[in-house]
Order: sequence, then C-alpha cells, then structure tokens
Amino acid sequence: MEFDLDYLLRQGPALRAGLMVTIQVSAIAIVLSIAIGLAGAAARMLRVPVLNQAFVGYVEFIRNTPLLVQIFFVFFGLPTIGLTLSLFWSGVLSLTLWAGAFQTENLRGGLATISSGLREASRALGLTSFQYLRLVGLPLAVRVSLPSILNTCVSLVKNSAYVSAIGLQDLSAVAFERIANDFRAFEMLSVLLAGYLALVLSLSFSVRVLEHRLQAPFRR
Amino acid sequence: MIETLDLIRANAPLLLIGLRSTLYLAAVTLVAATGIGVLLGTLATLRPRWIRALSALYVEVFRDIPLIVTIFAIFFGGPFLGVPLEPFPAVALGLSLWGGANGAEIVRGGLQSIPHGQREAATALGLHLWKIYLLILWPQALRAMLPAFTGLLALIVQSTSLGALVGVTEFLKAGGLIIETSTVMRGVNPAFGVYGFVLLVYFAICSVITALSRWLERRLARRGGVNTVRAPDAARV
Repeated sequence: MEFDLDYLLRQGPALRAGLMVTIQVSAIAIVLSIAIGLAGAAARMLRVPVLNQAFVGYVEFIRNTPLLVQIFFVFFGLPTIGLTLSLFWSGVLSLTLWAGAFQTENLRGGLATISSGLREASRALGLTSFQYLRLVGLPLAVRVSLPSILNTCVSLVKNSAYVSAIGLQDLSAVAFERIANDFRAFEMLSVLLAGYLALVLSLSFSVRVLEHRLQAPFRR
Repeated sequence: MIETLDLIRANAPLLLIGLRSTLYLAAVTLVAATGIGVLLGTLATLRPRWIRALSALYVEVFRDIPLIVTIFAIFFGGPFLGVPLEPFPAVALGLSLWGGANGAEIVRGGLQSIPHGQREAATALGLHLWKIYLLILWPQALRAMLPAFTGLLALIVQSTSLGALVGVTEFLKAGGLIIETSTVMRGVNPAFGVYGFVLLVYFAICSVITALSRWLERRLARRGGVNTVRAPDAARV
C-alpha cells in the first residue's frame, strides 16, 4: 500500500479535532494534578493529621493499580452510585487523579532535599509552617523537582491516549477509527507517531525555557 | 455491597481464568522484555557509536509512543502489513517491545554502575569481549538490576490490562464480562463494586511486587553495598 498524502490531508480537520481533545484533556489534567501535588506535598510535609496518611494511601493506591482500570472505574463505576460525569470530564478526572499521585511524590521529594536549616531559619524569623512552605519551601521544591514534574507531564500526555478506550475522540481514537474504516494503517500510524512525538518534544522544550527562567535569580 | 460480593463469588471461576491469563501474559512479557533488555542494554554499552545510537533509538521510540498505540498498531495495523496476529500474541508482542525498551534502560544502568576499571583490567588480562560480559559485567550488574526488574514486573502486570481492549480475557475483561451479564440478566449495573474489586486485586498483586522490589533494594544496599539501578516509575516509562 502506498502512502497517500491526499488522503491524509482530507483527514486533516478530524485529526486536528482529535489533537485538540488530546491537548485539552492533558492541559487541564496537568494543571489540576500539579495543584493536587502541591496540596499533597504540603500536607505530608506539615504532617497534617488525617490528610498525611490519606495522601500516603492515595499515592500507593494509584501507583499500584493500572490506569486503564482507574479510567473504567471512574467512567463506568461512578455513575452507578449516582456520580455521573461526561466522557470528557471522566477522562480529565482519571488522568488528574493518576498524575496527582506522582506529582505529590515529585514535590515531596523536592521538599525533602531542602536543608532543614532553611526551615529553622524561617521559624526563627517567626514564619508559620504554612508561610515557610508558601514563601520558601515550595518555590524551591518546584525548582528542584522540575525535571521529575516534567516527566510526569510527558507521561500524562502520552497516557491521555488511554481515554480513547472509553470512547473519547482524542487523537488516537480518531486515527484508529480511520484505520478501521478506510484501511489506511500506514498513514494513520505515521500521524500518531509524529503527533505524540511533537507533543512530547514541544512540552520538553517549553519546560526547558521555564527552567531557564526559574534559574534566573541564581544567575549572574 | 453484599450483592457485589455474592456476584463476585458466583463468578469466581471466570475471574480466576482472567487472573490466570493476566499472570501468564505478564510472565511471557517479563521473559521477552528481559531478553530484549539484556540485548539492547548491552549494545548500549559497546564502543561503536552507531550501535549505541540504534539501541537509543529503539528505547526512545517505544517509550515515547503510548503503549496503547503500540498495541493497537500491532493488532489493528498488523493485518495490513501482512502479519495478522491473534489478540494474545499481539498484546504479548506490544508489551514485550515496550517492556524491552524499559528493560534496556535498566540493563544499561546496571552495566554502567560497574566501575570502568574492571573492564579495563579484564581487557588488559586479554579476556575476550564476550567473556568480559559473561564472567565479569553481567553477574555484577544482575545484582544492581534485580530491584529495578522487580519494579518493572509490577508495571508489566498493570499494563496487561490493555489486553482487555483487543479481546484478551484477562482480569479486567473478566470483570467487564461479569458487569455486562449482570446488567443484561438482572437489570442491575454492578460496575462500581466489580471494577472496585478489580482495582483492589491489582493493588494487592502490585503492592506485593513493589514491596519486594524495595526490600531487595534495601537488602542489596546494606549487605552487599550495591548501588542498585532505580526502579522504573509508571510516570517515567
């Protein structure tokens, strides 16, 4: 079978729509999962009584269960107890919960590397624990754990392909539908390869820029 | 709650068939991924640059493409390329290619953790390259890699659930079948309980494997002073 460029161009709009879904789901889940990560890392660092243990359990549970089953549980399971979410938000919720666990670990690891001297200094200056986290701990932790946070984001973009399993029309769902209907495996697989590589690489690039800017105060 | 437990008990045989399929798939994948990993991980430590580049390309491609896309490409794309595969072999192949990429990273890390002087000393003594690997590098790297490979097994067990999407009756699919039957026959949708149960079983299996991996890491570090390779993380593979 030959590579049919005309065919590929005709599928442009559908593929673009799929790509947009992939980007939207990933972008929302990235933002929310980092928020969970910040909350989780703070709760664990401050040893907030119940939250601390809850986050330990949450992280262990997410890390030791398959993402696909988590997605099925959210999309098929939650509606049966009265919690109905749309296809899109089911995808966002599962990816957010999944990535949130890893971001919690990333940021907690970052916080742990900050020397206890800074914390003691903050206390000596009269800062509360919360103020320490907000003004000293987390800003530094984000810088330290940026590479691992990025890794999790890249994985999230990749794993957003899992939402096609519940029928959300993301890039991979659109492409595989075309393979099934038009028998254009070669073209569509090239699109998938190029699409995910482009997403992953552009994400790494933008974070390198961000990293550069975060380092600015420490450069001469 | 009680109904769900009854439903699970009544369908225990189906769930066991699914579980067996999951474990079988994971075992096949572990063996194949180890083979690919040892081969490509070793190539990554050889001198010629183009060999290292080939190995790196393989690793990069199979780690950057979503695993679900790899498996779909093999299962749905295979027939167009003249290699139609049954669901089970298709999933096993996809998982092995992906697992092999992660295995290669572990093996490379393990081999690189051995001080370079040993290799130079062996060369100075006139040992052949294959003997250096067989007698000196691999045996030592094995200890450094053991916890990481155990961690990889936990990820492989989790990833076998993708088989459900192309028609392998593994554990997740078995759960799905129970939900379907119950919904049609009794008009009650037990998805919450059954998928919750499926999650718990995966959690139990993978927690044990993860705990084993951490225990090995601690033990090797304490007893042998081995600097183990970091176990792969679901958010890094």
